[in-house]
Amino acid sequence: MHIRKILTLVGPNIWANYSVLEAWLDLDHYDTKPSSTLPGFVDRLTAWLPSMIEHRCSEGVRGGFFMRLRDGTWLGHVLEHVTLELQSLAHLPVGYGRTRETSERGVYRVVVECLEPTFAEACLRTGRELILAAIDDTPFDVKANLRRLRELADQVCLGPSTQAIVSAAKARGIPHVRISHGNLVQLGYGKAQRRIWAAETAQTCALAESIAQDKELTRQLLYSVGVAMPAGRAAEDREDAWDAAEELGLPVVVKPQDANHGRGVSICLEDRDAVMTAFDIASREGSGVLVERFVSGTQHRVLVVGNQAVAASGGEAEHVIGDDTHTVEELVAQANQDPNRGEDSAQPLTTLVLDDISLELLRRQGLDKTAIPATGRKVIIHYNGDLTVDETERLHPDTAASCVIAAQTVGLDVAGIDVIAEDIARPLEAQDGAIIEVNASPGLVMHLKPLVGKPRPVGEAILNHLFPIGETGRVPLLAVSGTNGKTAVASLISAMWSASSRTVGEASSRGLRVGSRVLSNADCATAASVRRLLVNPFVDAMVVETDEIRVIREGVLFDRCEVAVVTNLGSGDHMAEQYVDDRTLIGKAIRTPVDVVALDGCAVLNADDPDVATMAEKCRGRTVYFTKSPTSEVARKHLEAGGQVVFLEGSTIVAQEKRQRRAIVDLGDMDFLHDRPLGAHAIVVENVLAATAGGVVLGLTPTSIRAGIQAALAETEDALFETNGRRLLVTSARNPSAFAAWGSALGDVLGQAKRHAILEVATDWRPEDAKEMSRLAAENFASLTLVVHDDAPPTVQNLSEIFEHAKLARENALSAAIDRIERIIGAAGTSDFIFVAPSKRSGKDLANEHCTKRNMVRLS
Amino acid sequence: MKADNIRTLRGPNRWSDDTLLEVIAVADSDLATPATFGRLRGSIPKELADVTQAVWDRSEATDSYHGEACLVAELTAAFQRLAGCEIGKPTVHTLDSRNFRILVQYQEEEVGRRALALAFDLLVAVREDRQVDLAAAIRELRKFNQSVRLGPSTGAIVRAAEARGIPTRRLTEGSLVMLGYGSRQRRIWAAETDRTSAIAESIAQDKELTKSLLGAIGVPVPEGRSVESAEEAWTAAQEIGVPVVVKPRKGNQGRGVSVRLTTREAVMAAYEIAVAHDGEVMVERQVEGCDFRLLVIGGRLIAAARREPPTVMGDGKHTITELVDIENQDPRRGEDHATSLSKLRLDAIGREMLAEQGLTVESIPEASKVVVLRRNANLSTGGSAVDVTDEVHPLVAERAIDAAAMVGLDVAGIDVITSRIDQPLDITRGAIVEVNAAPGLRMHIEPSEGTPRPVGEAMVNSIFPHGENGRIPIVAVTGTNGKTTTTRCVAHLLQMSGRRVGMTCTDGIYVENRRLDTGDCSGPKSARAVLGNPRVDAAVLETARGGMLREGLGFDWCDVAIVTNVGEGDHLGMGGIHTVEELAKVKAMPIRRVSAQGAAVLNADDPLVVEMAKLCRGSVIFFSRHPESPVLVSHRNKGGKTVTVRDGAIVLGVGREERKVARLTDLPLTLGGKIGFQVDNLLAAVAAGHALGLSIDGIRTGIETFMNDLKTVPGRFNVVAHRGATIILDYGHNSSALVALSEAIEKMPHRKRKIVYTAAGDRRDEDIRRQAKLIGDFFHEIYIYEDQCTRGRPDGEVMQLMREGFGADRRERVVLQESGELAAIGAAIASLHSGDLLLCQVDQVELALDYVTSLCRQGDGHPAASHPGKVKSTAAVLPATAS
Repeated sequence: MHIRKILTLVGPNIWANYSVLEAWLDLDHYDTKPSSTLPGFVDRLTAWLPSMIEHRCSEGVRGGFFMRLRDGTWLGHVLEHVTLELQSLAHLPVGYGRTRETSERGVYRVVVECLEPTFAEACLRTGRELILAAIDDTPFDVKANLRRLRELADQVCLGPSTQAIVSAAKARGIPHVRISHGNLVQLGYGKAQRRIWAAETAQTCALAESIAQDKELTRQLLYSVGVAMPAGRAAEDREDAWDAAEELGLPVVVKPQDANHGRGVSICLEDRDAVMTAFDIASREGSGVLVERFVSGTQHRVLVVGNQAVAASGGEAEHVIGDDTHTVEELVAQANQDPNRGEDSAQPLTTLVLDDISLELLRRQGLDKTAIPATGRKVIIHYNGDLTVDETERLHPDTAASCVIAAQTVGLDVAGIDVIAEDIARPLEAQDGAIIEVNASPGLVMHLKPLVGKPRPVGEAILNHLFPIGETGRVPLLAVSGTNGKTAVASLISAMWSASSRTVGEASSRGLRVGSRVLSNADCATAASVRRLLVNPFVDAMVVETDEIRVIREGVLFDRCEVAVVTNLGSGDHMAEQYVDDRTLIGKAIRTPVDVVALDGCAVLNADDPDVATMAEKCRGRTVYFTKSPTSEVARKHLEAGGQVVFLEGSTIVAQEKRQRRAIVDLGDMDFLHDRPLGAHAIVVENVLAATAGGVVLGLTPTSIRAGIQAALAETEDALFETNGRRLLVTSARNPSAFAAWGSALGDVLGQAKRHAILEVATDWRPEDAKEMSRLAAENFASLTLVVHDDAPPTVQNLSEIFEHAKLARENALSAAIDRIERIIGAAGTSDFIFVAPSKRSGKDLANEHCTKRNMVRLS
Repeated sequence: MKADNIRTLRGPNRWSDDTLLEVIAVADSDLATPATFGRLRGSIPKELADVTQAVWDRSEATDSYHGEACLVAELTAAFQRLAGCEIGKPTVHTLDSRNFRILVQYQEEEVGRRALALAFDLLVAVREDRQVDLAAAIRELRKFNQSVRLGPSTGAIVRAAEARGIPTRRLTEGSLVMLGYGSRQRRIWAAETDRTSAIAESIAQDKELTKSLLGAIGVPVPEGRSVESAEEAWTAAQEIGVPVVVKPRKGNQGRGVSVRLTTREAVMAAYEIAVAHDGEVMVERQVEGCDFRLLVIGGRLIAAARREPPTVMGDGKHTITELVDIENQDPRRGEDHATSLSKLRLDAIGREMLAEQGLTVESIPEASKVVVLRRNANLSTGGSAVDVTDEVHPLVAERAIDAAAMVGLDVAGIDVITSRIDQPLDITRGAIVEVNAAPGLRMHIEPSEGTPRPVGEAMVNSIFPHGENGRIPIVAVTGTNGKTTTTRCVAHLLQMSGRRVGMTCTDGIYVENRRLDTGDCSGPKSARAVLGNPRVDAAVLETARGGMLREGLGFDWCDVAIVTNVGEGDHLGMGGIHTVEELAKVKAMPIRRVSAQGAAVLNADDPLVVEMAKLCRGSVIFFSRHPESPVLVSHRNKGGKTVTVRDGAIVLGVGREERKVARLTDLPLTLGGKIGFQVDNLLAAVAAGHALGLSIDGIRTGIETFMNDLKTVPGRFNVVAHRGATIILDYGHNSSALVALSEAIEKMPHRKRKIVYTAAGDRRDEDIRRQAKLIGDFFHEIYIYEDQCTRGRPDGEVMQLMREGFGADRRERVVLQESGELAAIGAAIASLHSGDLLLCQVDQVELALDYVTSLCRQGDGHPAASHPGKVKSTAAVLPATAS
């Protein structure tokens, strides 16, 4: 049993509307051995992972999966469940899994939900090892493996503070994109994005952080707004520290000038020795030493977000309780056994450390680390304690107000204010309490996971501060899918949308564009390109071409779309790709954007393609149909049901909803369509129709739609050249549907002119696709030249048989085929038409470039 | 000659609008000055000859104490100028034959003080025939000035702000500067603004992340990756294709960066240098071309410079070390960021660079051979910068702007490497190699060559859009009497209009009704605290004479200045102010600083105040209780605005028209109009409210709801009931206040009038006598005591003066209480019968109020007084003030 390949499908995909891992699992010799046939396997597996009893599986009852195991199920299915369980046991709970056979015997696709790809992959691989060990009856340390997986999860997952904000965003439907391996996260898409980095927001200014770092400056600023921090001053040396302590009055606190998290801070110092020792400890931090008046009471942390104090917690000084038996050192070690303690920021209690400060503190308590304190005696290890108790509801409003003023004066939008008070429920003045520190980028764990009291929705508070209620963080995203015409439709809609003053980002196979800028000319109908749009801060509208094969291999990346346009579900494309075995899969891929249309969004579907028309059932939003025939049954019913339809009536594209008809664009009025050398041929009209329907749904004005059509067609991808009366069209027709469409379109436009075709073999043709191409070529062209690359799939190697009437040019690159074009031009009659259809973009560019170089007249 | 008293006038002051040192210089002995002068003449260094000559030229000035004072003044100014400060001419006033007032401007307070000390030292040294190394002292002062003054970048921003009328203040000794006041303030820290995102800075620090973000939006960047060993660095270099750059992933100012590496050895050595700076190392494609720095501020390209690495040119004679020394003689090369070029350095990196060229520091390069001392062109390591702003291709500018936006920086320095900045990057195959937060501005402000760019202006324009000046409405209130009540009332009006008001007065600092400080806060320091408070939308500042004399004003311009009165004055004889006319001049200071759009609110009944109208740049609103006052009438005839009382109502007059604001009977503060001085205070507040643009309705609501009680306005005409008697507590302690108080008390029903009083020891003899006379004439029973601090007078003297003032026939009605204020109050209260009226002039306000409250509570069944901490009055709660 081995894993052939792992695909990470990010975002909605053919399996689910969230990210999954798809593994191609080869069972090898286990392809004949279901679980029930492997001796002891089921017992070992259930013993190792007893919690799988909760997996209901297809039985639909608790223990359902164990029943399947005993009855006998294939190992692919077992791996699916084990992987899910391992992820859940390592604290990343997931539930979705599927196992499906492929066309190849013994090879399964195992699909599991995935929150973090690297982690899910590790679980999958661990799961495989676990299963093999269970089969072979070899030892497998489940605990150790889980520990390792948990550590990995901690590494790759967002930190707890960031996660809290991201979870709050998810709950509000605001999408997020991780833009670094750390905690830098973008919330929202495109122009609507805001960044966070742990508890730092896009609005946190660096200058305020610098101010917060500088304790003395903070003290001055706060003093001037009436938020008094304890008096204090910088000390030059040990003597000066003692002088300062005497000036301020004992006891005092000695700390580094830019102390963080209590490092190097000594508290409640009463005598000369203690002050001097504390000075030495603090000066090791290197930034200068501050002596401050000591404020008695316990430490509290108040979290300020925007103009509100949203949470407060308190706790006790770090201590251990004596038991007459153990030494301080032992008591500390015992305390550290508490699973709540750890170095990790996600744990509510920090590990107790007996550092210099604690040793000094012990000395002042008349102890050392080997002393055995009496039963019940509280031994302070550190004065600054862990903040474990939620005190939000007890926070006195005056203190809350002071904390807000402190944060705003320093200039922080999110700040953790350290407050010393005997009782946080009373005003500070009444108890001689004080604000002692303002912290930028405060940790949130103490508020999220208090040991005592209620967790506080601080993630929500920060999120709502960044995205006031009502803001969605989204820019409208329109996806175009279908076998044919999606690039053209995408570019038409981009142009229409741009005409209405949007900065449109477009990722399609013609490239990546933002506004008028072309970021790439390569094929950009990819997840990576979509990501580039999502992170682009200028984009305020997105048009994404979702290519079905990429959906199958990568997922669509965006979590939902406002509009999904589906042109058709033709045939013959990608079918020879590995394990893309049937049309249903392609259909699912094309439908994926429809599955994730927003509730208030819309699917724009081709009523003339029955496979597409039925996708409406899967759409959570509304549906708008477009059709070439106003009498279409689907359209009629839809109208009757109160839906909207965009159709072609004569040469006019009309949008109708109930009785209301709006003429959007009259193609007859659009001179440029007729000025085009090939006129308004069917393909153009179909694409314009689909795009217009998209434009109508986006609420664009007829003027914008018309301007868009004009602009898009002016820079059409298909290039028509003329040389000595012969016309030559370079376009793409890499699949039977496209080839058929061109065949009939050319027939309409060219009438009797003699037609030649140069066709490049695409790598993903199945034999039946090749046959269909051959048939279409014979039907529509007088001659066919086939360019075959060496990497053509073995399934169509037998090309000469399939294309019996064609000339085969077996070339390694299209560049050599250029000669072939030349020869055909030479041989063609004066009014002949030559159709050149490279299968890849690069080929098209090459052909265009050649024709231009040859000084052919480009007609469009 | 020595300095008797040095004052630092940090704001507009009675001498000028500039920051000044005010020094009282006293001739300390009868030493013959001519000798000093003669000796000084001989020892004065060349560079000071002009200065001293100017003094000598005025023949009458020489050989006199006055001459000496002039010399001190001129030298103080000259030392500051030599240290690099731009200041004007000093002034010397003769107070008497031995006392002189020197006024000398300063830019940096501490530099000014040191210059002054140096000038006095020099005089003493010459007299004592001691040698002074003046040149060294001046060098020291210059260095000191460089260390304390704002650097060129921040300096440029501050100047640009000031040019736009935006007030500025340094918050630290460093470059943290506040621009604007209160809630309109913004902060900058060198090239960082308060909109510079912390996350964006972290991103910019991470070159790899920056590159990937820039790449995502189509900004050309050099491809590359991070590596973990020297070996891997070389592997990466081969993948990418040499030449390559090796640098630390984090870091700045070009530290640890090696460029144009082609060999395995060089790449591996460079890895070691980089790894020493930061654990993570990156290898990148070497983009060929020059090093350009583009400065993007607020989404616009503001400046661009071509940066060149530090070089020396051989002459066939000197070693490289010597050539570097010679080059470093260039005065433009300074030790720090303060000058346009930095000194060349021959440190380890420099020597390595030489080694690569086959040279050592001892090599003598041939004539006109250029020796490169460092690869990178950072200014801080001795490089130079040529302004090329006008050559930048618009598409390059666009990419730089995109880069700043993508990283999220409002101010960014974009490093571009390209062969030609006037060509798009995709043509030159250039790239953006780095985005810098808080970029150095020096290369654009003082480029080594080419046009300096208005970077400071751009910074200011980006944080203050056109038309904004960062100011909040400021009302300054001054006068002899009624300042505090007027201040409180104006603050109340503003608060009612929805603003968060900051207020300073003799009771403390208040922001949004929170008391931030206690005690007398009517000085410039408190004013500055309020103006610096980011929550304050409007400031009302009581501006007392003491602060103005001591330190000048705490603001540069105000929108409204109110002068309640000068009256008979107070504190005369203090701070060099001996007459009411002089006092009026001081009180006019805020009027001189009313902005052209602002207004002065002046008491038409006080001739000295009326005179101040001439000093005001803005408009003037006169107020008076007497509608027929000739000042009011003539002002209105000229189209001016007035506020007065007509037919029992406060009216606002604008030219011919008169609008009723409120009826006196509706104004609790005035006891239905009975307390005249409170009417005056409200008239001033109404005028100020109108000048601030508040509606008549808003003003009416404001003054109708404004009252004084013990809690909100302690010690300002608080009226307390006690066993059928009435006690009035007030802080007023000058003649004008006593007159006003008497006038008010007369209108209240009473049987016998009693008073507890003392005069402050720091008043003039005649003032103390006059106060005593006023009291003696008006009150039936008088309890006097001696203040705890007699302010410089021997014990018993104040009492003596008061006795003199009472006149013989009234002395029998005077009770002298030896043991202080509280005892006097206690005795007076104990003597009260029903229907009596006692005016307690409280000095230690809070202490006395507490005492009175507790006395009233004991054995007094009056329900109003039985609430702890709250004292209510008889008639209505009577709040007020006369001070």
